[in-house]
Amino acid sequence: MSASTHSSVLKHHFEDLGQQHACERLGIWMFLATEVLFFGGIFGAYTVYRLWYPHEFELASSHLNRTIATVNTVFLITSSLTMTLAIRAAKLGDRSSLIRNLLITAALGTAFMVMKGFEYSADLHERYVPGRMFQGEYEAALRAVFPTDGPALTKEQAEEYFKAHPDEHQKWAAELVLQNYGKSLNDPTYRDPGRVQLFLCFYYIMTGIHGLHIIIGIGCILWLVWEAWRGTIPPENYSTVEVVSLYWHLVDAIWLFLMPLLYLAGSGMHH
Amino acid sequence: MGEQPNTPGTTPATAQGTDDPYGVRKDLDDPFTLVIVWIAVLGLALVNVGLSFAIGPTKFTLPLQLMIGFVQAGLVAYYFMHLKQGDKVVILTALSSLFWMGILFVLFLSDYMTRHIIVGG
Repeated sequence: MSASTHSSVLKHHFEDLGQQHACERLGIWMFLATEVLFFGGIFGAYTVYRLWYPHEFELASSHLNRTIATVNTVFLITSSLTMTLAIRAAKLGDRSSLIRNLLITAALGTAFMVMKGFEYSADLHERYVPGRMFQGEYEAALRAVFPTDGPALTKEQAEEYFKAHPDEHQKWAAELVLQNYGKSLNDPTYRDPGRVQLFLCFYYIMTGIHGLHIIIGIGCILWLVWEAWRGTIPPENYSTVEVVSLYWHLVDAIWLFLMPLLYLAGSGMHH
Repeated sequence: MGEQPNTPGTTPATAQGTDDPYGVRKDLDDPFTLVIVWIAVLGLALVNVGLSFAIGPTKFTLPLQLMIGFVQAGLVAYYFMHLKQGDKVVILTALSSLFWMGILFVLFLSDYMTRHIIVGG
């Protein structure tokens, strides 16, 4: 038996710290496996509908905010770096570097959520929300082109009208109305507003659940900061930081798939 | 996989000596490597954004985007999540999660993606 048996970090039911660390790592990895399957179910549902309705998904995605999503990607990837540097600091017993790296990670996670808040707020402002908001906005754009009390505009007139009144109708609604102008429901170039809303459901649910994971992650990181501040994370207890970091990296890795599936699906459509 | 002999209770034969009585520094990350991985993952993310914008939605876009995503996730898992220095059982757990997800996808895609053939829609 080594000097490790004398550490207060060692729990009584483990032989030594090596065994304890291995168990902690295995435990969090098994939890991560359930997380992969949890998100796997949502990704699977997305796959089915993406394969069924590719054009509506691309059109719907093209109106999401890619700038915010790209900035958020940079935040998350950078936070993964600082989180890993925090483990290194913990192993070296460098408490100030540990706390600094953890705080930077939490700050980057918070910045991610703040940007997400701005993004949701802009979506709400554009009424790009499935249900009554979407339906109301789409129908308002339809009524402008096909008024109940007058003759319908031609497609060219409709294009001119939307160009001349950019503040009255949302860009996505105008595009959808123009895209569907004069087309029957069976036309392969008809874009079903219901399917566009289905994409939006995936967008809100997937980013919402991911955001919830980020918030939980920030909470865990702040708890680590508190523990490090109290001095309960000596080098032999680095695995506490590693366990949280594994969760954090998984949430980062999931974002690396959400980004192309949600934001890049319709990238480059309008150019 | 770059594994090191995992013999708990022995002081690793590194220069740390008594500085590291619990042997926790034997797998210490090299900050330079971490920064290179960070640049690579970040670069791939920007390549993904740029390529998607440049080629637009084609039938090759999604496979290309997902391929980049898998490389990024692989780098994160191998270097940041320390699969590089993981025990066999940890690597097995990580791979089994992908294996089960594969079963999940195969089973329900084989249902949903073949319905139109059976129903004839």
